[in-house]
Amino acid sequence: MNHECHISSLVVHGRPDQMPSIVEGIGAIAGAEICGGAETGKLIVTLETDTEDQVVERINAIQLLDGVLAATLVFHHFEPVQDRE
Amino acid sequence: MDLTRRTVLKAQAAAAAAAAANVTLPASAQNILTGEDLQLQWSKAPCRFCGTGCGVMVGVKDGKVVATHGDMQAEVNRGLNCVKGYFLSKIMYGSDRLTQPLLRMKNGQFAKDGEFQPVSWDQAFDEMARQFKQVLKEKGPEAVGMFGSGQWTIWEGYAASKLMRAGFRTNNLDPNARHCMASAAVTFIRAFGMDEPMGCYDDFENADAFVLWGSNMAEMHPILWTRVTDRRLSHPHVRIMTLSTYEHRTTDLSDMALIFKPNSDLAIMNYIANYIIQTGAVNREFVEKHCNFRMANTDIGYGLRPDHVLEQRAQHANDAQISSPASFEDYAKLMSQYTVEKASELSGIPKERLEALAKLYADPKVKVMSLWTMGFNQHVRGVWANHMVYNLHLLTGKIAEPGNSPFSLTGQPSACGTAREVGTFSHRLPADMQVNNPEHRKHAEEIWRLPHGLLPEKVGYHAVQQDRMLKDGKLNAYWIMCNNNLQTAPNTNNETYPGYRNPANFVVVSDAYPTVTAMAADLILPAAMWVEKEGAYGNAERRTHFWHQLVNAPGEARSDLWQLVEFSKRFTTDEVWPAAILDANPGYKGKSLYDILFANGEVNKFPLSEIDSAYENREAKAFGFYVQKGLFEEYATFGRGHGHDLAPFEMYHQVRGLRWPVVDGKETLWRYREGLDPYVEKGSGLQFYGNPDKKANIMGAPYEPPAESPDAEYDLWLVTGRVLEHWHSGSMTLRVPELYKAFPGAVVFMHPDDAAKRNLRRGQEVRVVSRRGEIHSRIETRGRNSVPPGLIFVPFFDASQLINKVTLDATDPISKQTDFKKCAVKVVSAATADAGDVP
Repeated sequence: MNHECHISSLVVHGRPDQMPSIVEGIGAIAGAEICGGAETGKLIVTLETDTEDQVVERINAIQLLDGVLAATLVFHHFEPVQDRE
Repeated sequence: MDLTRRTVLKAQAAAAAAAAANVTLPASAQNILTGEDLQLQWSKAPCRFCGTGCGVMVGVKDGKVVATHGDMQAEVNRGLNCVKGYFLSKIMYGSDRLTQPLLRMKNGQFAKDGEFQPVSWDQAFDEMARQFKQVLKEKGPEAVGMFGSGQWTIWEGYAASKLMRAGFRTNNLDPNARHCMASAAVTFIRAFGMDEPMGCYDDFENADAFVLWGSNMAEMHPILWTRVTDRRLSHPHVRIMTLSTYEHRTTDLSDMALIFKPNSDLAIMNYIANYIIQTGAVNREFVEKHCNFRMANTDIGYGLRPDHVLEQRAQHANDAQISSPASFEDYAKLMSQYTVEKASELSGIPKERLEALAKLYADPKVKVMSLWTMGFNQHVRGVWANHMVYNLHLLTGKIAEPGNSPFSLTGQPSACGTAREVGTFSHRLPADMQVNNPEHRKHAEEIWRLPHGLLPEKVGYHAVQQDRMLKDGKLNAYWIMCNNNLQTAPNTNNETYPGYRNPANFVVVSDAYPTVTAMAADLILPAAMWVEKEGAYGNAERRTHFWHQLVNAPGEARSDLWQLVEFSKRFTTDEVWPAAILDANPGYKGKSLYDILFANGEVNKFPLSEIDSAYENREAKAFGFYVQKGLFEEYATFGRGHGHDLAPFEMYHQVRGLRWPVVDGKETLWRYREGLDPYVEKGSGLQFYGNPDKKANIMGAPYEPPAESPDAEYDLWLVTGRVLEHWHSGSMTLRVPELYKAFPGAVVFMHPDDAAKRNLRRGQEVRVVSRRGEIHSRIETRGRNSVPPGLIFVPFFDASQLINKVTLDATDPISKQTDFKKCAVKVVSAATADAGDVP
């Protein structure tokens, strides 16, 4: 069976005073990883998901976190993953 | 994909985002390996969706677009990308993509009541030419028309304008931009004598206050919104004020949200003008040197059919556009009626909030950027609303310099570049010229190498009028390109659909997908889209940008440009031009329209060898010359030396767009200001040179009520609009399953109290009913849009729930743009209504 792997990245603008809770909120989202930027109010986040749907879902979830002003995509790449068995 | 590759891709993704955000990542995350070859061919292109004009990098593998990312070199978006841009790669690969012409047929012949059957391009154009010729012969040029698009490339719009005006001799050409920005375009001309904003996106980094008039930027222009957010976060003194008829994501993130009753924006702006005058904040020197005062005709009706009672009753329905010279005192007297009490009463906004807003405009130290889109433009007083915001900036001199900027945002990628600059409106020619001006027609005839007196002077049918004339059987041969009018036109069931199916009419639709409009046509022509052709767009800040053809269109699909030029071969001048003109100019006799319009010595003067050999160019190969370059260079002749200068063709393939006027290879960021705009004379400081006296017009106009307001029976305001994940009518974005899932099926956003009053629950099926029609939908009382009591919001993208069956076809009487933002409806439970049918 064929699966896909989607790697994407986004910039998340947040209110500086709410950064700790935003970082925590993103940390709880499956496949999301924060790479840095908390001190600037602009978080660099990568997403690793199985489908494009999940990319949209994750962005929506991040946008709805308290203190998030904008979550914007930058990069997207996908390719098939073949089971090696 | 193995683990290492995943790590590499993630590091690349993070690096791209960090670069776009100008963030330095910790060393551990900077570990970029470069050994991986992803085997993609990357090229630049502007995003195909909205008017922002973002640059994207498009990755092609094996003749297919497989990836996109924000273009770091594009000044507009600096590497960022919104959800729409993100899924650009999938837009072209919907499973129902049209790949061959389809004609309604019975027994092998065209039949209006036949079924769609595949035909060749020859068969399609044969039937279409036969129909157009018959209509031209029997009823003349006024019975032929075309409805185009702000999504046309620049040369497609230009070719269409030549074919319609010079070929068929009709001005019945209008773009769907009529529904979206006609009010903005008309007011620019009325106030400044020249279309399009004086400022640009660089104002975002220079303003101290952003005032959003009805614009939901966070969702509709997300990339520009990140620039506003960036400014706000890095400069704590910056303020964002959002005016709207309901709460949305932009109001959430603003420093102050002012929720006003529909149409009362007029009273609010007049109040601010009054505040500026009363507090002595008028910049006297600026106003005396650079402004004239005028008073608009009032009581101007609502652009409905002339027999409508509201038109009969209106004093100036027929001369709505007239205004008369006035003095500052006349203007101040009219404004003095708009006290804070009156504005507060009409708008429902508390006085303190209105005062806080007025202070921003009045304070000479605060640089204000005003932003608006459909809230002002889709307004029965849209032209007045546009004037009123310019009035505030002109009274205070806060205009045409970094950060002080009244800025009209746009919805479509080339509403500025194609609809406005090329002039595909029923009253316009290229470079702001007008069809009813004999000098302008003469100039166009010279550039187009046409006999004198050929171009028609009568202003053609505008968008809504085209629908009415189709219905009335006066417009009979009709070509729709690159838009989904049946879904987006107002009051469609009564005013649009009947015209398409009127047996007297032959309707052609060119599209990439079987939209509701295409399915209502007689002939469907499959279109190539976006990077399947070489293209050029012009965005909201006067930026012209180009792209190459990167992939081939599927099957028999061909670009609108090819369709227009190829179709012109089927007509000769003897068939379509008056004998008198041909007798006086015998050299034109017996020529095809193709010879006259496109093989005219100008358009065909650049050989195929000038095409960049790294890219395909199907249209150029089909015609044997670099058709895009020829059309662009001929078109650019109109504006060069007249304040609309465009750079040489090749330059645009190198850069990420340039803002016109481009003089000596340099773009212009702010117009009308000495030192920033090469057209302003030394020592003058500032010149609004679009007008002969180089002054701008401050236009006095009152508050007037909307065409329809809620009453006892239809007791709610209906506001329509769009949501981030869907682009306008959704004919492209609904092809992308991810976007469809993100916002499935339109809903009715309603206040919980209004729902409770009607015994309606969240998720319940309801009917939204107006005096014109009804739709079924579902109630939503939560979510991203929160409406005040007395008002509902319905997005207009869903073909299964055509909200425009319900809307009113009232327009601004001056710009003829439809008001989709206010009419009266009632909402009732669908179950109750169906109860009668249950046995």
